[in-house]
Amino acid sequence: MKRVEGKHIVVTGASKGLGRTLAMEFAREGAAALVLTARNADRLYQVKEEIRILAPGTRVLAVPADLRHSKAVERFAATALAELQGRVDVLVNNASVLGPSPMPYLLDYPLEEFRRVLDTNLIAPFLLTRKLLPGMLEHGGSLINVTSDAGVNGYPGWGAYGISKFGLEGLSQTWAAELEGSGIRVNWVDPGDMNTDMHRAADPGGDPSRWADPADVAEVFLWLASDASRGTTGRRFQAQEDWRAQASVDQAALATEEG
Amino acid sequence: MVATAPFRFELPDALLAREPPEKRGLERDQVRLLAVDRQAGALKHTRFDGIGDLLRPGDCLVFNASRTLPASLQAFIANGPYAGRTLQLRLARGNEDGTWSALPLTLEDEPWLGELGGARLQFRSAGVMPQGNPGARLSAEVVGRDPLVERLWRLRFSLHGAAWMECLSRLGNPVRYWYSSAPWDLDFYQTVYAREPGSMEMPSAGRAFSWKLLLELRRRGIDTAFLVLHAGLSSYLDEKFDAGHPASVEPYRLEAEAAARINAAKARGGRIVAVGTTVVRALETAGADGRVSAGKGRTCLRITPSHRLNAVDGLLTGFHEPQASHLDLLSAFLPPESLKSVYDAALEAGYLWHEFGDANLIL
Repeated sequence: MKRVEGKHIVVTGASKGLGRTLAMEFAREGAAALVLTARNADRLYQVKEEIRILAPGTRVLAVPADLRHSKAVERFAATALAELQGRVDVLVNNASVLGPSPMPYLLDYPLEEFRRVLDTNLIAPFLLTRKLLPGMLEHGGSLINVTSDAGVNGYPGWGAYGISKFGLEGLSQTWAAELEGSGIRVNWVDPGDMNTDMHRAADPGGDPSRWADPADVAEVFLWLASDASRGTTGRRFQAQEDWRAQASVDQAALATEEG
Repeated sequence: MVATAPFRFELPDALLAREPPEKRGLERDQVRLLAVDRQAGALKHTRFDGIGDLLRPGDCLVFNASRTLPASLQAFIANGPYAGRTLQLRLARGNEDGTWSALPLTLEDEPWLGELGGARLQFRSAGVMPQGNPGARLSAEVVGRDPLVERLWRLRFSLHGAAWMECLSRLGNPVRYWYSSAPWDLDFYQTVYAREPGSMEMPSAGRAFSWKLLLELRRRGIDTAFLVLHAGLSSYLDEKFDAGHPASVEPYRLEAEAAARINAAKARGGRIVAVGTTVVRALETAGADGRVSAGKGRTCLRITPSHRLNAVDGLLTGFHEPQASHLDLLSAFLPPESLKSVYDAALEAGYLWHEFGDANLIL
């Protein structure tokens, strides 16, 4: 059986980079329906078309939206819930913006840009998750937030982006605690350095050949989206480290609990 | 069929909830709760977040998880005798043939009685002319009168499915009534657990549940089950007309998992508590011999004092207007004289009415 067979999955930031890769992987692994969003409509529709060819059995709805606006979050959530008839199994909060590039020091950061980054990377997942969680309340589900090393360490120049990810780490921890025992699991993943447009913009002097391809980090997301991760909540994963070691601890605990 | 209320009372304006509790300095679960013990005939005045103390482990709360649509649209009439006029349309019901039945009103919320057959309508955001407005891409043709409710007209929209929902989200506003003190945003007209868009007005009985309270109740062993019934309009804004049309035809769906939870609760001696009159209508339609069956359909069930409750043991609801058919439904739970004493107590103690108001638990 495929790993996410029959599931309803929502992915933000799905037009390129990690989001696009995850959408393709979920389709390949049997998702029944994918609802995708991103700002760039053309690229998003292209991803939809690619999935149609790759996995004709997966229903795909593409809704272009700039989630920094709360009205766009509502429009996306309402459309997604209608399409999925109110059942959401997996939500991946992946969309984020880097802010100005080259990246100014926080000390020099323009206020408007600071707000734009926080609205997109922190407020949008806060709102979207609340609006989509009712779709998980009855059957359970998996909420996966995409974070970053810059969300646990302060680096010069990673200002607003890093702070938004610090916030997302906090959201994730708090939700995991609040939803304990509800059947809705909350985990968050630092994908590590990837060869994406965003990372190239953040580190123009870096060597992309040393960075992972998004496809190389998809495995932990597939695992978290699948029923195999049923006993795991409240965990931070590093996709390019030995995440399976931590996962197996939770699985062993679950097996003991279930006797 | 004309609805006759089981008793009449005067509702003072001061008891209309004009704003959401969150705008009155309360959390959504801190509204007041008037609990009625049917057997003991006793009343208890408490706060909503204490509802867990009135329920027992093993009881099952059944919620309507329908999500509120922004069902009020401004329509520009493009042809015919009223060409150039703008009116308000409130969606009332999605029909099986893909058309929508809608209530036309003036922009001042007065009934619109003009002929609309054959009209082409363009939709737009309030105050913006259709030209150059990307939202104006949504249009509709009026195909005729609604066969069940003559005040409604049937529309065929130019968009369907997800594209229609996206446009509606851009253009629509929640249905609001005159007593609202401000044009509250759609988010205020949602329950926290709303998951499937389709109601023209919020199924408001469950509005007071917060996530915190819902999750706490579950931890205490109180079960929860969800069905979906898309609620229609509660009023056509014409008192006489409303009295002649007490029950709308509303689509509902009860999935196998929820039906099994409800039946299991019943079998172990738990009480089935309907959160809202919509849930009563759906469960009483889906129930027979004390069991409910999964399925979907349309209910036009009108519950009256003579109805013998089959599936439901208790009801959580708001406070209803003197002329509302909901009062009829409540009298299936309580004889009219007891119901009257509950309402007297609520009026006396200053409970608040309507979707942002206080709650009434009948067990």
